[in-house]
Amino acid sequence: MNIETGRPNHIEDYLISLHTGQWFGWSDSKNKVYVNLIIHDDSKTKPTEQECIDGLAQLQSDFDTKKTNAENKKASGKQKLKDLGLDDDEIKALIGA
Amino acid sequence: MAITRITTSAVTDDSVTLAKMAPGTDGNLITYDASGNPAAVATGSAGQVLTSAGAGAPPTFAAAGGITETDIWRVTSSFVGDADPITSNWERADDATAGRLGTGMTESSGVFTFPSTGIWLVTFTRNGYTNNNADRAMKANIKISSNSGGSYDYVSISFGNALDTSVGIVHMSATARAIIDVTNASTFRATFTANGNNSNSSTYGDSDLNLTWVEFIRLGDT
Repeated sequence: MNIETGRPNHIEDYLISLHTGQWFGWSDSKNKVYVNLIIHDDSKTKPTEQECIDGLAQLQSDFDTKKTNAENKKASGKQKLKDLGLDDDEIKALIGA
Repeated sequence: MAITRITTSAVTDDSVTLAKMAPGTDGNLITYDASGNPAAVATGSAGQVLTSAGAGAPPTFAAAGGITETDIWRVTSSFVGDADPITSNWERADDATAGRLGTGMTESSGVFTFPSTGIWLVTFTRNGYTNNNADRAMKANIKISSNSGGSYDYVSISFGNALDTSVGIVHMSATARAIIDVTNASTFRATFTANGNNSNSSTYGDSDLNLTWVEFIRLGDT
């Protein structure tokens, strides 16, 4: 994932969402592509490449939706405070933005 | 009549040349013993420095002070949940600018072996995150065995936590540190544990930079 924003950007983000522990790794840790995916834990099934692609896309979609919802809620909450008569400085003092 | 004895006063200052001295051993130095008599300092090994033994004893050549061993290993893949110990996905830091001194550690399935006895500074830094609408806590633990892995002792535990803000990502970090007296390089072992207050604490891993890593520095002799 992007460690600055937290947005998933690699199939490893999908893999760690499947099981806990160090159940997988890479035969070449400098080249983390699907063909280099190895499974350390025999009790776990190796997902298909398509599952990894789709899983990452879903994680990204969930992340973006969550972020958008949070921003919308923040904006609507701020507007409601304004509607109650608070000015920007008072709102900032309350919620920090 | 041949001269057989020369008094000190007969020898003028600055007159005895190197060629007039008796041969000695390559690399020896001349010193004086506790009685004030000339004595030889035995030849040292390459890299050693002359070390005073104080009054009453001649100096000797000994290993130079300073750091002789440093090594950093890191986890190359992220994971969620506990790992006791972290057994997989270790690599020695191999960035183009990475530095290392000495022989370095040996790693097998997450068990680290020391290359030599000595006083070792061991540091384990674990970075993680939360982005699942939940507060998270993590621990980074160092465990040491002195009996070839027969049993391990927790020698350092550090805690980190993050309060989820439901937006983006919140990082957390824990660093455990211990100074270990490795008296037998053949029997001492080190392992590193990642756990937390629930099964979903996370650990960063990366093969291009140190996100979760262990650092070994040999500080001196045991």
